[in-house]
Amino acid sequence: MKIKKGFVLREVCGEKVIVGEGLETINFGKLISVNDTAATLWQKATELGDFTIEQLADALVEVYEVSREQALNDVEKLTAKWKEAGLID
Amino acid sequence: MKEIYYKVADHVFALELGNNETAVLNLRQYDPFVTDPTENVLFRMQLLSEPLSLDDFTQEWRQDDEGQHILVGHLGEEPCYQFFHHNQLKGVLVCHTDYKYADVYAENNNLFGINNAMMVMFALATADKHTALFHSSVVSYEGKAYMFLGESGTGKSTHSKLWLKYIEGTELVNDDNPVVRLLDDGSIRVYGSPWSGKTPCYRNVSYPLGALVDLSQAPKNAIRKLKPLEAYAALMMSISGKRWDSRLAEGLHETENLLATNASVWHLDCLPDEEAARVCNSTVKNPNVNANVN
Repeated sequence: MKIKKGFVLREVCGEKVIVGEGLETINFGKLISVNDTAATLWQKATELGDFTIEQLADALVEVYEVSREQALNDVEKLTAKWKEAGLID
Repeated sequence: MKEIYYKVADHVFALELGNNETAVLNLRQYDPFVTDPTENVLFRMQLLSEPLSLDDFTQEWRQDDEGQHILVGHLGEEPCYQFFHHNQLKGVLVCHTDYKYADVYAENNNLFGINNAMMVMFALATADKHTALFHSSVVSYEGKAYMFLGESGTGKSTHSKLWLKYIEGTELVNDDNPVVRLLDDGSIRVYGSPWSGKTPCYRNVSYPLGALVDLSQAPKNAIRKLKPLEAYAALMMSISGKRWDSRLAEGLHETENLLATNASVWHLDCLPDEEAARVCNSTVKNPNVNANVN
């Protein structure tokens, strides 16, 4: 999977949001609020470029005290949401 | 070489006329903004006498708006904008050195071409200076500026006209492209500009910001205060800018974030009637009342 070009994570008034700022996303026109966990995973996905659910689950286990099984489950749900919102391919 | 200096929102920029001294005859709307020459300018823009070759132009984006369109891209390595009116090329802007210099060619020094180039250049050069060129209609009332936002066709100008007609003491500041600055003391100031869309209102005046009101057409009038995130989204849609240039996006984000946090931002569902102006005015003029009026 890959984050679509043009989406960036920003801190707006103390909250973390994903904003479309690129040419490809200029007409996206909405902000997507994310919690701290999702923001961490977004950053990780940005660093990785091409990423897999397993890689993000590994990152989650490193930062938070969750089982790998739980992490895989959470990442799967989150990436499904991102996909539905058109943020990733 | 003949140069003219303009000051808009306390930013000074220079127009180098070269052999195009008669161009000033087309630029009357800039007269209120003429200022003394100075070394310390935001940018210098040179009017060219000969057209530029556009063979090396690479298009990145096209923006369409009511019989006008803009092609955005690069000419060789330099950012380049082409401004069209009814599919006729009226002006070309090429930016140099981090938006400190620009070349402009506009056939017969036509106002449309020079105007668009100057406005775009101003937005680009101020993006990292806590300054934003808005798409907004703005009025003054009791010493403060009230800015109306919304997509083209929502009725920003119409709402200003309603204030002018029904709210005593209202004056039009700018009808299309005011400038907003966050000043070092934390205050927010709104400035008239030489750009005002179809309404000739080129006033060199400024006021502290009263409130920003995002408008939607609706079957009845209702106003509510926007939460910071909603305010940020409304501001982002109303500020011109080249967000895909990451340096400019950074500056715009900073300005929008500070405005969303510190300014009084509202949403007004409205009809084009007297009640809309009265509901809006009576709510937003008092910043200490956070009431929801439905």
